[in-house]
Amino acid sequence: MNKKMLSTGNDIVSLNAINKTRTNQPGFYSKILSDTEKALYKELLPAGIAFENFVWLLWSIKESAYKYLQRNTPGLVFSPTRFVVQRIEPPFGYATTNIESSETEGTGFGNRPVLKSVITFGSDTLYSKSFIYRELIVSVVNSNEDFENTSWGIKFISSSDPEYQSTAVRIFLVARLNKLLKLDGVTISKSPHGFPLILSHDEHIEIPVSLSHHDQWVAYSFQLA
Amino acid sequence: MTRTEILNELKKVFAPYTTNKELLSKINDDTDLIRDLKINSANLVDIIIDAENKYNIEIDFDAADKMINVGSCIDVIREKLEQKNVEYR
Repeated sequence: MNKKMLSTGNDIVSLNAINKTRTNQPGFYSKILSDTEKALYKELLPAGIAFENFVWLLWSIKESAYKYLQRNTPGLVFSPTRFVVQRIEPPFGYATTNIESSETEGTGFGNRPVLKSVITFGSDTLYSKSFIYRELIVSVVNSNEDFENTSWGIKFISSSDPEYQSTAVRIFLVARLNKLLKLDGVTISKSPHGFPLILSHDEHIEIPVSLSHHDQWVAYSFQLA
Repeated sequence: MTRTEILNELKKVFAPYTTNKELLSKINDDTDLIRDLKINSANLVDIIIDAENKYNIEIDFDAADKMINVGSCIDVIREKLEQKNVEYR
């Protein structure tokens, strides 16, 4: 893959919507994690992160990495065990808190308490930043450790209906694009391979974007050069 | 089991994970689980495990990767059921 080709990938997991009992069953988590990845849990024990949240953290990192690569490799299939989380690093003194607001956005992660990880898929190496709150996990992936030009947003919405999720995350993203880039006439379309495209007055804008939703949470990420 | 029998059983497997009940009743081989049935990707592992439990089969990683649309799900389940029958003979 051409590393200079911009992309982005994100994923959100609503922790109120997961089945905790099932997630803790080896038959479930072994379909997501390899043995070496299971061993990474010890890195998160001091932070008091429950095993089921660790499983969904790795899921969100892997799915974000898949979405990152899929944009430039359209036939790619999401195979959780082929995306290997090599390293995971919680911030010093990390403790899980409630999300501070029902809507939060940023560019880069600055001093925010994010977990950093390194993921490989074949010969590709990718990097992620993840938030774990009591309510949700959200991850964003980039091809290098610099997330200064990565913009992201997380929002609580009033319904978990798939059509509503899809509309709500697009409205959320378009508002941010209008604000940040002064783009107007913005709409979000979908490529034939299923990833979102930004259009301004029906013209494709070359800004890679990723959308995700789960339950009553939606999130976006986009990557500027 | 015929493809139609598996299809009818699969509707029950998918039901807890989709709100689009009308489309669920009309699914065919080309129906995509995420794009058409709007199943959240976070539930794909649930579907694999529910299918394993329903048919008493094991769906390995390579087979699970293929379960993108209804037709490929039926193919995987048929293949695993046939393998199981060969082992029992």
